[in-house]
Amino acid sequence: MGPLARLVQKEFRQIFRDPLMVRLIFLMPIIQLFVLGHAVSLDLKGVRVSVLDPVPGPLSRRLSQAVWETETFTPGPPVATPSQAEDLLVQGRTDLVLHFPVDLERRMRQGNGVLGINLDGRNSAQAGQALAQVQAVLNLEAARLASGWKGQAPRPGGVTLQPLYLYNPELVSRYQMVPAITILLITIISAMLTGMSVVREKELGTLEQLLVSPLTSRQLVLGKTIPLAILSFGELAVATLAAILVFRLPLEGSVLLLSGAVFLYLLVTLGGGLLASTVSSTQQQAIFTVWFFLVFSILLSGFFFPVANMPQALRWLTWMNPMRFIIEIVRGIYLKGSGPADLALPLGMLAAHGVGVFSLALWRFRKRVA
Amino acid sequence: MRPTTESGLAVRAHHLSRRFGDFTAVDSLDLDVEAGEIFGFLGANGAGKTTAIRMLCGLLAPSAGEAWVDGLPISTHGEAVKRRIGYMSQRFGLYDDLRVGENLEFYGGIYGLDSAAIKARRGELLERLDLSQALDRPTGSLPLGYKQRLALGVALLHRPPILFLDEPTGGVDPVARRAFWDLIYEVAAEGTTVFVTTHYMDEAEYCGRVSIMVAGRIQALGTPASLKAEHGARDMQDLFLKVVGT
Repeated sequence: MGPLARLVQKEFRQIFRDPLMVRLIFLMPIIQLFVLGHAVSLDLKGVRVSVLDPVPGPLSRRLSQAVWETETFTPGPPVATPSQAEDLLVQGRTDLVLHFPVDLERRMRQGNGVLGINLDGRNSAQAGQALAQVQAVLNLEAARLASGWKGQAPRPGGVTLQPLYLYNPELVSRYQMVPAITILLITIISAMLTGMSVVREKELGTLEQLLVSPLTSRQLVLGKTIPLAILSFGELAVATLAAILVFRLPLEGSVLLLSGAVFLYLLVTLGGGLLASTVSSTQQQAIFTVWFFLVFSILLSGFFFPVANMPQALRWLTWMNPMRFIIEIVRGIYLKGSGPADLALPLGMLAAHGVGVFSLALWRFRKRVA
Repeated sequence: MRPTTESGLAVRAHHLSRRFGDFTAVDSLDLDVEAGEIFGFLGANGAGKTTAIRMLCGLLAPSAGEAWVDGLPISTHGEAVKRRIGYMSQRFGLYDDLRVGENLEFYGGIYGLDSAAIKARRGELLERLDLSQALDRPTGSLPLGYKQRLALGVALLHRPPILFLDEPTGGVDPVARRAFWDLIYEVAAEGTTVFVTTHYMDEAEYCGRVSIMVAGRIQALGTPASLKAEHGARDMQDLFLKVVGT
């Protein structure tokens, strides 16, 4: 076993001997995913549907009836004006409002009936699901109607819904959250623990003992980062399995591409942890330093707020944020099945960040300690 | 003129200096330590002992001057120097969460010893340090005296010709200190050079030669007996106070 392998062995021994560490690394993500798993349950029941119908007629009545008859939806309070619709939604007295246009029948006969629908986008997954179900019911009913119309070929899909969300118009769904949370878990494990484990050796005086040994600073850096990279990939595997099995997320893209992108991202987080350790002499300082950058990274990553909705100045700032690119990449891989060609830009940016941060860390580490 | 390294010198410093900003911690240090010597490197807190040792061990770059360890210049042969020295500080440098055997295994490994060599050397050292029963004990659970001996074992694993001990006996009871010095004598008798700092003047008495450092410079250098005679001191404690106080 060479010196580097001994370092890796020692790190693993220390990690697995600390019960708190084992719990933090392995139990924390499982608990987080489990809690989220419950929050993300998508069974819709008793969704209240109100109708805004300026000129009530048999057609609109039949369509709304069809919606209400399903198990998912129940009738909500009647609505007379668009502003009343908004009020009821804000007060939580109804869940969605269907707007029937005055000339619905004429439009439907032309095959382009458009209905407005008001929803509350805060519970994005639920809103998205409800929208899809309303659309399905209306399509079916519209097709039935059309087949009954004389001189008209059966034309399915004669009704289109035009959703108008009160909140969260981008509909950032939990589908988008789960892949992003995976990244967050990996970030914490790799950046925090790297920073802490180096600084802990400073505190204990063992770092000095390593520095008088013939270990090179490159061996030291690799010995510290390889174990945490391995644990991060373990975390990725657990979170990916949970995303697929618990959240029923379709992993559309390639696992290989996902791993490759995470590897590039780990260069950033492990390098960041090392950088934090070179400016910190206590574990508290290291944690605080990592946390400080973590908060900005999360806020400017599109994790909660889509980058496209940010003011121009902040949007520029996100280019300096590697988390923005990895989140773009994992969401693309998970939800759209994006390949390397689709993700060339974020992958390139991530690679640049990764190589840059890790080289800087290596250089700083050499300068500070060797 | 560039001084030549002479065989037989374990440590040689020539105008070795280290400045931190405006503060000169080590001021043009000149020092020769013979191979096999037990050399006591004394001085008050802040006199520059630790800075000097850190430079000799390659932990800190000198601002000026040069030093040779086992004949190798530290400025150009840092890596080779590190293979030739053992280092033990007051903080011991042990992993409390690893077992005694695992600490030795790890440090042996980073000095490039293979598994068989580690096993053999580990058994030998544990026997010698009277720690054989402690092999599987968590290091953190050992009494301080045991830890101290283990730290010495770690420093000796790769059979270094020169051993640097930076206040190795701090906080340990007199019996353990005495036992520790018996070990140091044994090691020196085998030809290892021991370069040791201490604040215990009874320990200074055990050294072949001592130097006393004041404000970054060596103020006194010689055998304990000759220095005491020179300064008219009753004992090492008296000598130290006389040299440092002036």
